[in-house]
Amino acid sequence: MKIGNIEAARGEKTYGFFKTGETHGRFPVHIPLHLVVGADAGPMLVVQAGASGLEIEPALILPHIVKELDPSQMKGALALAPLMNTPGFEFAQINSPWDDKHLNRLGRGDADGSVSEQLIHGYYQAVIAKADALVDIRTGSQWSYHHYAGVYQDDDQAASQALAIALGLPQVLLGQGADDSMAQAAARDGLAVVVAHIGGGPGLRDYRDRDQSRMRNAVLNAMRHLGMLEGALESDSDAVAVIQSHSVIKPSAQRGFIFMDKRLRGQQVQAGDKLGTVRHPFSGETLEDINAPRAGVMLHAGASWPVPPEDTVLAILGDLVEQREFPG
Amino acid sequence: MLKVGNLSAQAGEKTFGYLETAQSRSGLRLDVPVHLIAGAEPGPTLMLQGAIHGAEIIGSIAILDFVAKADPGSMRGNVIAVPVVNRAGFELGTRGSLVDDKDISRLFPGNKDGSVSDQTAHIYFQETITQADVLIDFHAGARTAYERYVLFTAEEDPDNLSLMEARRRKLVVAFGLDQAAFFPPGTFGSGKSKVAIEEVDTLQITLEFGGGTGWFKNGEANVRDAERGIWNIMKAMGMIDGELEADGPLCTVYNAGVVIWKPAVDGLFIRDSKFRDELKAGDVYGRLVDPYTGDLLAEMPTPKDGIVIPSGQEWPTVGATSIGILGSIDRVEDRRRMDLSVSFD
Repeated sequence: MKIGNIEAARGEKTYGFFKTGETHGRFPVHIPLHLVVGADAGPMLVVQAGASGLEIEPALILPHIVKELDPSQMKGALALAPLMNTPGFEFAQINSPWDDKHLNRLGRGDADGSVSEQLIHGYYQAVIAKADALVDIRTGSQWSYHHYAGVYQDDDQAASQALAIALGLPQVLLGQGADDSMAQAAARDGLAVVVAHIGGGPGLRDYRDRDQSRMRNAVLNAMRHLGMLEGALESDSDAVAVIQSHSVIKPSAQRGFIFMDKRLRGQQVQAGDKLGTVRHPFSGETLEDINAPRAGVMLHAGASWPVPPEDTVLAILGDLVEQREFPG
Repeated sequence: MLKVGNLSAQAGEKTFGYLETAQSRSGLRLDVPVHLIAGAEPGPTLMLQGAIHGAEIIGSIAILDFVAKADPGSMRGNVIAVPVVNRAGFELGTRGSLVDDKDISRLFPGNKDGSVSDQTAHIYFQETITQADVLIDFHAGARTAYERYVLFTAEEDPDNLSLMEARRRKLVVAFGLDQAAFFPPGTFGSGKSKVAIEEVDTLQITLEFGGGTGWFKNGEANVRDAERGIWNIMKAMGMIDGELEADGPLCTVYNAGVVIWKPAVDGLFIRDSKFRDELKAGDVYGRLVDPYTGDLLAEMPTPKDGIVIPSGQEWPTVGATSIGILGSIDRVEDRRRMDLSVSFD
């Protein structure tokens, strides 16, 4: 198997940089990539994380999953990118500083575009377009804390939904919001695609080990589900709630200190129930109560830090489709 | 009457407004939000200061909660409460002000002929800090760390305390946390602003309290305990009546002179040490690993024996600030055996 100049034979694993060019200052435009090629034929799974330069916690665990994999005991191939946006990581920002582009807002990229668009075009064609399934791991950056799996509506949703349930997260959202990401493009191209929302800075101190365990479970469970690895699925959740027809709540009328009630996560709320409060940051007065626009189940999602950036998701409410025991 | 620049409050009154300071090139007014609480009876002046570093907001929320409950009619003395000093940093989630790339906390007593932050520091210092007997300065771990201790200036001669040092010893304990620390002189630079504050006879204690990495689990409790500390200081200063409330009877005070900085290489930071861990010289405090392969790049050993004080970086990237601080136990204060009242008559 060869991707760019990264090459691994059956039963091997290797690591390198998938490179498409250089910047004006001659810095490489590339994505670090692990390849693990099983001894036997099988599906190809892509696992990627860190498209935002501030979503870096997956890089603490993903390389170690590669280390523990034995390709001789594996079917198919795994392509794993633990931290895609290397310059965003360098300069501690969401977008690539080379051209101020968000790597997960460029769809399939553009061969004639900016350096990031060229990078994503090359990566998409060389890696994702050849795969059967994609798990795109995202975190809550420094503001939010998450714990659910999202499935786009665009694709063969049954395959993606089955993969999402297998990851071991407590909630699966059918109808992951359109975002012009690589994952959405892949879903439209017929891959089984899941966006795994796990962790985020506000939980880093107290839940780092748990979040990393969830990421590890998600990757290995995806491989087990696809028949690439033997073994039973693992999870710290006893059940999976499948949720659809969701509403996303973002800051609207007022800005200031925003406090969302984390105790409501996973709970059924009614229309009009108070989900949070916006307070004036200097006078302290309550500017606005954030009320549920509809009845629904609160996802394990949303902003936690009281001063989130504009356009940050505060909460997600959806309808419960089914609740099933986790398939161990 | 309590007067701060263009703002004022009569005895028994609580007011809010913006202290006029400076204006940036685009016309942004960086006026500082100030609550004035003028007690019905005379007494000392307590100043509360939050978010002089823009992303350190736990104290800001506690100050607002305190102000909402404070009753000037049953209070002796005055409170000047500033929930957010650095509005530009608060807006953008940065430590300093990007208006002129300066850290206001390092600029006191300020400069009326300087940049916007210099001017803001000058007016703010003259109008607020100079008339305070006590300044509680709330800091935190921003979004990348988590902290929980009272920080204060090292004493010149612990066996021969100045009046300010003796008062400060009491207030550090009165705040109610179970841990406090001082840094040996010069550990973090010259402390020009601290000197300026002491020269106008204002007693400063600093709270390093909370932070983003612990917010999801501990945020509400941090805010509650920070507000409790404000009420405790009021009680210790005789501004209100009541019993102090605390984490427990003891407050461990650390001489925190062991600072761990980033080594020459960089990568993803993994902190291995937890609060109160006792490390020997050479023990690993944390590691830097390759962000793409997970391979070890460097270990960060502690240079001396020490106990990890409740402070330090947790987010996996590190910058120019210290990564961790260790100390030795200087003393353990027992609240049950101390008179924590402080008089400013």
